[in-house]
Amino acid sequence: MTPEFLLTAIIFLPAVGALLLSLFDGRNTDVLRFWSLGVTILTFGLTLQMLMQFDSSVGGMQMQVAMDWIPAWNVSYRLGVDGISMPLVLLTSFISMLSMVASWSIKKHVKGYMVLFLLLESGMLGVFLSLDFFLFYVFWEVMLLPMYFLIGVWGGPRKEYAAIKFFLYTLAGGVLMLIAMLMFYFNSGATTDSFNLIELAKVASGAESTLASTLSPSLQITAFILLFIGFAIKLPVFPVHTWLPDAHVEAPTPISMILAGVLLKMGGYGIIRIAFPLCPYGAQYGAWAMVAIGVISIIYGAFAALAQTDFKRLVAYSSVSHMGYVLLGLAVWKINETTGATENRNFWLMGINGAMFQMIAHGISSAGMFFMVGVIYDRVHHRDLNQFGGLMGRMPLYGGLSAGLFFAGLGLPGLCGFIGEVFVVISSWSFSPLLAIIAASGVILTAGYILWAMQRVYLGAEYKGPHSEDITPINGRETAVAATLLAFAIFFGIFPNYLFRMMSVSTTELVQSLENGYQKAATSAAQMQAMK
Amino acid sequence: MVGETLRNLLMIAWLLPLAGFAVEIFGGFWGTRQSKLAAWLAVGCIGAGFLCSASALVIWGQSNGWAALHRGGHGDHGAAGHDSHEHDSHGGAEGHQDPHSSPPATEHGASEVNSAAATHLLTVAPAVSAAAGMLIQEPVAADASAGEAVSGQTVFSGTIYSLATFGDLQLSIDYYIDSLTLVMFTMVTLIATCIHLFAMGYMSDELTEEYVDHHAHLSNGHHVHRPGRFYRFFAFLSLFCFAMLGLVLAGNIFQVFIFWELVGICSFLLIGFYTERKTASNAANKAFIMNRVGDFGFLIGLMVLWTFFGTFQFGSTYAADGSVAQAGLFEMVHRDSHGKLLTDAATGDVIITDASGNAQLKADGQARTIPYYLLVVAGLGVFAGCIGKSAQFPLQTWLPDAMEGPTPVSALVHSATMVAAGVYLVGRFYPMFVQEVLLTIAYVGCITLFMAATIAVVATDIKKVLAYSTISQLGYMMLGLGVFGWGAGLFHLITHAFFKSLMFLCSGSVIHGCHHEQEMPKMGGLLKKMPITGLTMLVGVIAISGLAIPGTPIAFSGFHSKDAVVASALGFVKANPGHFLLFFVPLLTAGITAFYMFRLWFFTFIGKPRDRHVYDHCHESPAIMTVPLLVLSVFAAFCAVGGEEGVLYKLITGDQPAHIAEGIAGGLSASGITLPNAHSIHAPSESGGLSIHAQAGAWALLAAFAGALIAYVLYGTELVNLHEVKQQLSGAHSFLMNKWHFDELYDGLFMRPSHVIGKCCAWIDRTIFDGILHGAAQATVVVSKWDRLFDENVVDGFVNLLARATYSVGDSFKTIQTGRLRQYVMFIVVGVVALFAVLFSTFPR
Repeated sequence: MTPEFLLTAIIFLPAVGALLLSLFDGRNTDVLRFWSLGVTILTFGLTLQMLMQFDSSVGGMQMQVAMDWIPAWNVSYRLGVDGISMPLVLLTSFISMLSMVASWSIKKHVKGYMVLFLLLESGMLGVFLSLDFFLFYVFWEVMLLPMYFLIGVWGGPRKEYAAIKFFLYTLAGGVLMLIAMLMFYFNSGATTDSFNLIELAKVASGAESTLASTLSPSLQITAFILLFIGFAIKLPVFPVHTWLPDAHVEAPTPISMILAGVLLKMGGYGIIRIAFPLCPYGAQYGAWAMVAIGVISIIYGAFAALAQTDFKRLVAYSSVSHMGYVLLGLAVWKINETTGATENRNFWLMGINGAMFQMIAHGISSAGMFFMVGVIYDRVHHRDLNQFGGLMGRMPLYGGLSAGLFFAGLGLPGLCGFIGEVFVVISSWSFSPLLAIIAASGVILTAGYILWAMQRVYLGAEYKGPHSEDITPINGRETAVAATLLAFAIFFGIFPNYLFRMMSVSTTELVQSLENGYQKAATSAAQMQAMK
Repeated sequence: MVGETLRNLLMIAWLLPLAGFAVEIFGGFWGTRQSKLAAWLAVGCIGAGFLCSASALVIWGQSNGWAALHRGGHGDHGAAGHDSHEHDSHGGAEGHQDPHSSPPATEHGASEVNSAAATHLLTVAPAVSAAAGMLIQEPVAADASAGEAVSGQTVFSGTIYSLATFGDLQLSIDYYIDSLTLVMFTMVTLIATCIHLFAMGYMSDELTEEYVDHHAHLSNGHHVHRPGRFYRFFAFLSLFCFAMLGLVLAGNIFQVFIFWELVGICSFLLIGFYTERKTASNAANKAFIMNRVGDFGFLIGLMVLWTFFGTFQFGSTYAADGSVAQAGLFEMVHRDSHGKLLTDAATGDVIITDASGNAQLKADGQARTIPYYLLVVAGLGVFAGCIGKSAQFPLQTWLPDAMEGPTPVSALVHSATMVAAGVYLVGRFYPMFVQEVLLTIAYVGCITLFMAATIAVVATDIKKVLAYSTISQLGYMMLGLGVFGWGAGLFHLITHAFFKSLMFLCSGSVIHGCHHEQEMPKMGGLLKKMPITGLTMLVGVIAISGLAIPGTPIAFSGFHSKDAVVASALGFVKANPGHFLLFFVPLLTAGITAFYMFRLWFFTFIGKPRDRHVYDHCHESPAIMTVPLLVLSVFAAFCAVGGEEGVLYKLITGDQPAHIAEGIAGGLSASGITLPNAHSIHAPSESGGLSIHAQAGAWALLAAFAGALIAYVLYGTELVNLHEVKQQLSGAHSFLMNKWHFDELYDGLFMRPSHVIGKCCAWIDRTIFDGILHGAAQATVVVSKWDRLFDENVVDGFVNLLARATYSVGDSFKTIQTGRLRQYVMFIVVGVVALFAVLFSTFPR
């Protein structure tokens, strides 16, 4: 398939599906569900096709699509995929498909839900595939509205509060991103590529480019901070994480899965795709702060999770803790202060790969954990950790699958969570031993809050909460979702190289170009200093 | 060839239990609750694993002509050096004026011999072994080397598959096979097979649809009724065996960490097997979390090693042409024949070497180094993991609680194998430990063995006594390793595995026979009812106490190994008199050990029955349980025959790290510790008296007899009123009963504070961050309200004013709008005239 068709189809198939869905009769809910499921499966199939056509030995962008969109503003319709976005695109379509299976539990306004769900999927895929800053921004905002309504209409008791909180936080981040985007636009002069992410990255790294100049080092720092805050909100990290627990707790189960499984990854993706390559000098400038924020998030999130009594809130805080590893891994960029040369590049490379792996692993394990919370919530309609117990006896299969997925979240070897966490942590010593030690202590807290939660929910002599009579064994549909996620958690835990091979060439190139970019900016900064 | 065969055999032994686990857990879930199929499958897997391991051991031995066994005694340090072990190549070649092996290339080759490259084997090995044969003074060893040991390769390492590659950094799943690996494999699979068989009998009451758990209560006071979980138990056991064997086979320290955690989670699952019991799930959590505390240290050690060495592999990896692609960790620290590390003269940092002992260079031509203190940190970090896993002070408190698991689990996981993994890792990672780390290991072991033994004296639960005894014995092993008794520590590991698993199974048999009664005060006189259990238990008790008939070689396994440990300790103390406690504490504890073990035996099997009900319903266990007891008792008694001249010890130490034979001279490190070589321990003293070994052995035997005698007097006869003794010593008794108050201490120091911090974090989120957010939102609302007021009053007011003004102006103009044409023409004329007047007056001509 030609890239033009394939990539466009991947992005817009769900949207077209949503459009057609609006013509359906809203009363026949099963037809709506199966249609939507079909659309997500087809989209997943298309991403698999993309994987087949993907060549992991190529470091740069592949299957590029470039068409004019708004020539007056140099905005184009530019898509492409590389080793960094490929796994995330697959994750998106995969999690969307499984969340759609999980959406059978949605009974209210099924048609509206399905339409918004499919639009959301389009937005997410667009974010991961677009190579034009403007297009990226558009998809970023497009995805916001369906999410707002999905939480605000189908959510729990405090859904309006959670939805508006989510919306405002993300919007604030989006505005900061917009400012940074305009900085690049006005700096680029009037060439045709002023929003082209590839060219912007190239010029920042000092490579040959159609653009004449990049931001000055001091402006790079400003732009980086703006971009970083925007993406950090999405990631989320301490201290801008408080939207996450509310959004998760109020969102319906499938939306929590999407939120944790895909949306959080956009923050990490934005950092690695936009903030780093476009402002290498700024990235290096903020490396220590980012590592520190990452470490604080790991520990803070874990402590906060320890104190929760709401099952879903606990899982939400575990996401804060786990995404801290992503930031930590991305930022362990150590330079020699005198020469400006990157030290121990391989450890940083390992950190970036570990962070990428952690994103995928967290996408699988946290989606699984949220789903498992949802399964029991659908039965007993509460999430109070102190009012569970004995579920291992009542629902043995559910208990076993949950144990597997929670162990993946705990970072048990043989399951996907371990590789990401440990690779990131052991790569961080060369950056800062102190922060590495603090990050490593997270393994104790993680074990603490997950095992304690499991003990309160699954173990024990009997179920202590209300609606005991409604506890029925896990059904086939739920088993399929959980078992699929668990199978992937095991697969990536045992054969991580499958993912690393896919992304290592791209990440190696990225690291190289960031180094060059920093050197270039540092030189020009030194010259400016000398001129003064 | 041999390497591949060994690898394949051990991999089969390793992976079979995993396959068994998968089949058992699914088959059991959809199968019937009454089926014993899962158990037979598990037994089949682990039994086949034992056959594979044993045949691997035989193939290995034959491939090198049982070089390890023909080696001279431990005193012969030349022989150790010539055992074609990879670490020995440097030491072996230097120091002896060897006519054959002078060029460095050959030396280098000799080290390669031990790994995968078989081609090297053919060319270099004969030369080396011939050289060895010429040099060795002892006739026995010389014969063996020259006659049979043609191919001397004993260590095999290689990669199974790659986990990830980042530039030059490579992480993979490897294997590392040497004599220690093979002995451990055989021991683990043999004991596991026995325990699996035993468990078929012990767990048979789970073979039901309606199991009543008498230890778990519902809120209405009834017992829990649940379906039996026979299959699940065996599935978990199989999974554990897989993890444990993977740990032993691991060829790099990261892989050890992976399986380290996996045995941890299996232990969690098995301790918490009775999920309905709160005590069980608490104990399971405690075990896992305390292990994670140790693993936190382990992780720090890994970080240091990774950052400075850039590899985790033990042995070297080879490129296709046989050259060393990546030196292993053990080659990267190089010691000379005095045990001195190769260091940078200027900075004192330790130089990282390649496989042939030359410094590795960085891109700028400088030697790669690691600061000495970080080598200490790395060693202590890895040892921290071992502290957690082997329940050493200060992380020992989880192991007694772990007795909540079914007794076969206690026997397999919490005495014979998993908890010994910490000791195994210390032994495996020995080349990386510097003197300060070894001293720490010795002291940790010393504190642990004493503390645990004292608690065991007062414990009344039969399994708790054994649990504390396990901790204490693990302390002995650590002590042995710490005082440079590498062989002694690991020797004790193997013998302990046999006699302790035997004793746990005996206690399981007692508990099974007494219908789940574990309190010894309710037992007594059980020997008549269960003779096989009682007598096999006695074998174990004698073995652990280290009793022997002086002057004869008649002694059970524990005597030999404990002897070796105590002798190493005495040798160490003689070389470093300041550390005298390292000898006297274990000596004293040897007495305490004999005391509490005989106390247990007399309490349980001798004397009058103290609880008629228990006694009357008690019965001997069925054959499926007693046969494993008999098998294990044979091993517990005789596996160490010959002591340090025997087969087992020689097999274990066949590939011992090179610098052990040499010893380490004092003054090489800040601590100034001298680590004596084995030779000095066994040689007769200078004054012509007993050797250190014989002295230590005599003292230890005396202590053991004293302990056993006291136990007999107190518990075997009725000469002393125990109650009065307890009253007299009530302060000490309650201190010991409270396990030295460690649980309370940790609860206050760590558990509560972390919950408080957690609550603080949650509070900060709710109150501060959300507070700021809500404040901002409210501020926005207030601003909006003002905005609205402003809009409605000022802006709208102005607009309205304007509108009103316009209106009134318009209104006033209404009067002009008359509709008469003449009047309009008049206005136009006046307007035009006025316009012209303005134009002409203002514009310049």
